[in-house]
Amino acid sequence: MKPRLLWLQAITCNGNTHSFLNHPDLFSILSHFEIVHHPALDGSYSMEDVIKGSVPCDILILEGSFIKEGFLKGGVEVSKLIQTYANKAKHIISAGTCATFGGIFKQKDPDKISGFCFDLEEKTSRYESYASKLISLPGCPMHPRWMSYVLLMIAKNKVIDIDNLHRPVELYGYTVHTGCTRNEYFEWKIDTKNFGLKEGCLFYEQGCQGPYTRGSCNKILWNDVSSKTRSGTPCFGCTEPQFPQSSLYTTKTNMGIPAKMPLGVPRRAYLTLTGVVKSFKIKRFTERLMDYDK
Amino acid sequence: MKKLHIKQLIEKIEGEAELDFTFNDGLIEDVKINFGFYRGIEEILRGKDARDALVITPRVCGICNHAHLLTAVRAIEDGYTNAGMPVTLSSKANDIREFTLACELIQNHVKWLYMTILPQLEKYVQLESGENYAIKATYLSSIITKALAIFSGQWPHSSYAVPGGVTCDPTYLDVMQAQSLVDESIKFFEQVMVGLDLENYLEIESVSSLHKIEGDFGTLLHLMGNANMAEIGQSHDRFIVFGNCILSKPGKSIVTNVSNVDTKYVKESEQVGTVSKAVMYKDRLYEVGPLARGMVAKTPIVKNLHKRYKDSLLTRVFARIHEVAQLLDYSKKLLNNLELDEPSCTLDLHTQLGDFEGTGVVEAARGSLIHTTTVKEGRIVNYEIITPTQWNLSHGTKGQQGIAIEAMVGAKTIEEATFIFRTFDVCSVCTTQ
Repeated sequence: MKPRLLWLQAITCNGNTHSFLNHPDLFSILSHFEIVHHPALDGSYSMEDVIKGSVPCDILILEGSFIKEGFLKGGVEVSKLIQTYANKAKHIISAGTCATFGGIFKQKDPDKISGFCFDLEEKTSRYESYASKLISLPGCPMHPRWMSYVLLMIAKNKVIDIDNLHRPVELYGYTVHTGCTRNEYFEWKIDTKNFGLKEGCLFYEQGCQGPYTRGSCNKILWNDVSSKTRSGTPCFGCTEPQFPQSSLYTTKTNMGIPAKMPLGVPRRAYLTLTGVVKSFKIKRFTERLMDYDK
Repeated sequence: MKKLHIKQLIEKIEGEAELDFTFNDGLIEDVKINFGFYRGIEEILRGKDARDALVITPRVCGICNHAHLLTAVRAIEDGYTNAGMPVTLSSKANDIREFTLACELIQNHVKWLYMTILPQLEKYVQLESGENYAIKATYLSSIITKALAIFSGQWPHSSYAVPGGVTCDPTYLDVMQAQSLVDESIKFFEQVMVGLDLENYLEIESVSSLHKIEGDFGTLLHLMGNANMAEIGQSHDRFIVFGNCILSKPGKSIVTNVSNVDTKYVKESEQVGTVSKAVMYKDRLYEVGPLARGMVAKTPIVKNLHKRYKDSLLTRVFARIHEVAQLLDYSKKLLNNLELDEPSCTLDLHTQLGDFEGTGVVEAARGSLIHTTTVKEGRIVNYEIITPTQWNLSHGTKGQQGIAIEAMVGAKTIEEATFIFRTFDVCSVCTTQ
């Protein structure tokens, strides 16, 4: 029998739903499962059946932030529904930053709204009950191929290696900086002069959080073609527990140096390297990329 | 006279809504539309940096996030202009924004056709074709959002539009790839959706030539015709458009008379029993969306359908799918004429104003989307979002029922009424931002 898949929404914008619908191999992936209910695709049960609590569920996909009281569907607290199916499920996947850490919607009522098993980085009271079957896929939204990786690993009975926040290490072991087309400019500490230029790094002024944000956006490209940083937009750290922070288009600095260091890099190491590379002026990095050697 | 109340949960409308029907002598007399949860995006924005709205507001909606981004950036640019610093985009930046918005609208309309209207209509007329409509929806929507992402970096939830332009700096390598994807989408439209060349399809102006349409759109028209849907679902016959786009100029249309509009006459108010707010223009309710755009722009085929069937379900459905053709044609032209030598962003990185108020308007898939931002010392002190679904789903007042409610009044069954409801392409999350 195919594993039965239930996609349940709490406080959400449906961004993860629509992100997943973009998957180019969607129907071959779904063929490994029976969809019992999904917010957009046909399933074998209606939402009313889901609300009754009687629908079978092997894999529960959660989308949206969690609130214990005050959000009802068909007269039933959504939190109750989630717990009913979380108890039944063999696997729980929190799809997106909202379901994982609380996300944007947490900011409306920070004391009451959180992720299902995490509240920012802290474990919620539900964590212990569900930790053994929990996979976190943060991202606002999560990438469709991150979801298909997890689903196919489950379908093929493989163990998914995860970190302390239950994120698969094969996806979140990288930073968003990995694979960025602006990496040379980062190496030589050359900032971009404005928005709308392919030259220069966005880490120094435009607020790019790529060097310390976990995620494979520049390895597994978005819509299979691009990423925020490749199109000149800073990474806003949307996979991180603290997303969204404030003043997202501006780099916070200490004495002209980015306040937050690349993941795992000691400040002293960063400053030493910066001192060295800044003492050189490399002609190629001061002009338009495609004008060099013309 | 026997009154009967029935509650029904409606799902797969970008969330859910609860409809509370009142039947009188076997016909629907009134409907209350209730949404579940208010997320408070406007409150979340207060105190944040003005530009943070470009990251936060797309998260109102997973299916029309790009429209929110462009409305948010226009609100800031309008604010800069009001404060004495006019913002002029390069035609490149303007055309890229137009292109990415068109892609999102196409994605929306095609998902609605294949994931809502066709399967729901089959259920309604009890036909089991066994078609996998969703595979068609996702094929086209993933291709056209790929074209979008070439410029915007990703879809959903890009923040690539910034005051003064766009963050991307495309080369012809990008443009060629986007062109192929648009061409592939046009092939899909021609061969799967309408069975006609795009050019021939766009020549259709009269009701008598609708029989030329084949493909899935042809099937839909046949099914609706056979189910006597041509005249049901009529509402107030009042339409409004605030955005200026290829599909329509701003204006309002009352029984085919078109006149000017100004966003200053738009008023929002709380409603009892639901978390969504009502919206009116000079105390009157108006329909927004593709049918409104077709009526205000006097698009020949929409006008001719309206002449015969008024603002019925058939006219409303047709107007939405017709926009797919118009937008595909427009997208192709935009890419052909893109001037890559122009700057992507005309504002300097450090040029920012601290105090301003501005309004941005965009014609999104479901109609006019309006953002108003008030900024003091660089921080947002007030942010107001009015979404298209709020217009169409307002409860109304004494003497005038809401647009979608009026369309459902007179229906004989809940199935008929909920199908009419879905022709508005209802978006639950936008209504409860």
